[in-house]
Amino acid sequence: MKLSATRETLLKPLQAVMGVVERRQTMPILANVLLVARKGELSVTATDLEVELVASASVEVAADGEITVPGRKLLDICRALPEKAEIGISLVGDKVAVNSGRSKFSLMTLPASEYPTVEDISANQSIEVAQSDLLRLLEKTHFSMAQQDVRYYLNGLLLETGPKYLRAVATDGHRLALCQIAMDGAKLPEQQVIVPRKGVLELQRLLTGEGSVKLDLAANHIRLEVDGNRFTSKLIDGRFPEYDRVIPQEAENKLVADRETLRGALQRTAILSNEKYRGIRLMIRDGVVLLQAHNPEQEEAEEELEVSYDGDDLEIGFNVNYLLDALNAVESSEVVLSVVDGNSSCLLREPEKDDCKYVVMPMRL
Amino acid sequence: MTAQRSILHVDMDAYYASIEQRDNPELRNKPVAVGGGSNRGVVAAASYEAREFGVRSALPMRDALRRCPDLIRVAPRMAHYKAVSEQVFDIFRDFTPTIEGLSLDEAFLDVSGSLALFGTDIAIATEIKRRIRDELNLTASVGVAQNKLVAKIASDLDKPDGLVVITESTVAQTLDPLPVRVLPGIGKETLKRLHAVGIHSISELRCAPNRKLEAIFGRFAQRTRDRASGIDDRTVARSSVDKSISAEETFSDDLVNANDMHRELLRLTERTSRRLRAKQITAGTIQLKIRVADFTTYTRQRPMHPPSNSTDALYEAGKELLNRWMTEHPGTRIRLLGVGGCDLGQTDQADLFAAQTSVEGSPLDQMADQIRDRFGDSSMARARSLNSD
Repeated sequence: MKLSATRETLLKPLQAVMGVVERRQTMPILANVLLVARKGELSVTATDLEVELVASASVEVAADGEITVPGRKLLDICRALPEKAEIGISLVGDKVAVNSGRSKFSLMTLPASEYPTVEDISANQSIEVAQSDLLRLLEKTHFSMAQQDVRYYLNGLLLETGPKYLRAVATDGHRLALCQIAMDGAKLPEQQVIVPRKGVLELQRLLTGEGSVKLDLAANHIRLEVDGNRFTSKLIDGRFPEYDRVIPQEAENKLVADRETLRGALQRTAILSNEKYRGIRLMIRDGVVLLQAHNPEQEEAEEELEVSYDGDDLEIGFNVNYLLDALNAVESSEVVLSVVDGNSSCLLREPEKDDCKYVVMPMRL
Repeated sequence: MTAQRSILHVDMDAYYASIEQRDNPELRNKPVAVGGGSNRGVVAAASYEAREFGVRSALPMRDALRRCPDLIRVAPRMAHYKAVSEQVFDIFRDFTPTIEGLSLDEAFLDVSGSLALFGTDIAIATEIKRRIRDELNLTASVGVAQNKLVAKIASDLDKPDGLVVITESTVAQTLDPLPVRVLPGIGKETLKRLHAVGIHSISELRCAPNRKLEAIFGRFAQRTRDRASGIDDRTVARSSVDKSISAEETFSDDLVNANDMHRELLRLTERTSRRLRAKQITAGTIQLKIRVADFTTYTRQRPMHPPSNSTDALYEAGKELLNRWMTEHPGTRIRLLGVGGCDLGQTDQADLFAAQTSVEGSPLDQMADQIRDRFGDSSMARARSLNSD
């Protein structure tokens, strides 16, 4: 293998895939990236056995070949070389030589044949979707994914196809976020897949929001291509909980608040809430909400704001972060909260639309 | 004034010495002093038999031996006293969450909120004493009063194995004849000055003219008079809760295969999670301690999201840690295994998918705990945690 390209040409694919390389690996080869030089093209593959990213670039290839080298080191070397530098990469014996001007580097290698890659995923459904729509689905829901939950099927995002929609649902058991887009004219077979957390975050990085993208769904994988970068992720093998059952019916008396005002009040009150549990109390009265928080140091915060509400008085506690996450995802100037009583979940959404729904379970304070 | 309070001061009798006498029958009914290894050490605790010879804590061991030549010296076992103390406090926690530990063997309990459940404060005090005697084979002296000051004085009036109740109507007559030194904050120097102006008893202090008190106590004169009258508004400050709860075991035969390791892990997890549930708290982090044959000790930990006290959830997380360790150390035998929960707390966050998630634990765990509480630890076990042979 022997190739050459400018620093910028090499940086692009390396930077695109490096997020996948874990800093601590279970297998030494996972610290490496796979370089494949063929017919004037270099493709770079990174994997953590769950998420795989392949990026490519047009380079000058003097000799075809493939090899794996330590990914971060190669990226750091390219990054540290001067702008526009011409870089040559070639396999010499069992080392890879990186040369540029008067700089020479020799990197250790592992055979390409040992690099775990995902070839054909045998897709059973392909969906054409606008990048902006897909990005929206992820951005409106990803923050509700669980993290290292023992209920492993919550450590990811549910993508669900229905007759005329594509839907994303994320929940950590304490709150839930749902967002869907209409797929007019499309007759999608019903399918549910759970994309692991890391895949979701990498995908968000990858999507540009322009043009459309083909989403391939298979029994065990999801794959899509954006700008010559191919993303493949294993799916979480598990059953997502029946989320429909935990989305409450709209209450008769809804609370409508100015989103920015509510957000500001929550942020200020949150400063004196318990740092770990983030509990905050909402006392909802006719046209007024009183927010209260206190911490173990006995410091207290109180804030009052005017809202539109004419239901019964009620008191309810929440983890303030959950409310803030949902408010940050909502774009309208006003927000609707539907609360029944202090022990039931709260449904939060935009006033005129119900394509995004946020459910937050209360906290006993 | 705040509402009527019921405060208990529980003081274990000759704590270290009693534990030694309990654990070693040969020491019973003999003068025993726990303390420093050499003759230069001091007495940390003396049995009541030794106290008859004037052996007191803080007395140099050499003087103690002079006063009581037959004195049996025992080296202190602090870890053990701490473990026993944990059992004592576990009993307290069955009656109230508001406990202020002063040391391993002494605590204030505010039982005002527990009266509806257990009857009177005297009933609670009696029951605590009974359980300490029956379950731990130790004795405690308890003072019952409306505040910490009087409760503490009361617990000291009838040691050992005492139970003294001082009510609002008896507080003056009980306190008045006592020497002023039983009040907190009156040390040697103050005592001298009080004696110099003719104040010896609490009643004399309570009735002393202002100028006498101000000369000695300055701006604390009024507070001193309050104390002498048995007035004390200090609340029982809940001492910081446990940092971690764990169970560990050294095996008589090293664990060799994965099955055995998983089985022991499950057993230890069951013990830890049961203690978490008993305290109605959850662990935000699970910790594994692994000691191998050459005594190298490894610890592994991971956060629990959400914090949990469920045996299943903790076991799954622990198993993941153990399996990862096993891949890192293939074929290594395990000599000691420990499972701990730390980052302890009480979340009352409701869960979307488990309507009845609570700090008390899942219904199944709760039922299993009840059965074990009633019929003993071996009455029920998970099939997986049983030895196959």
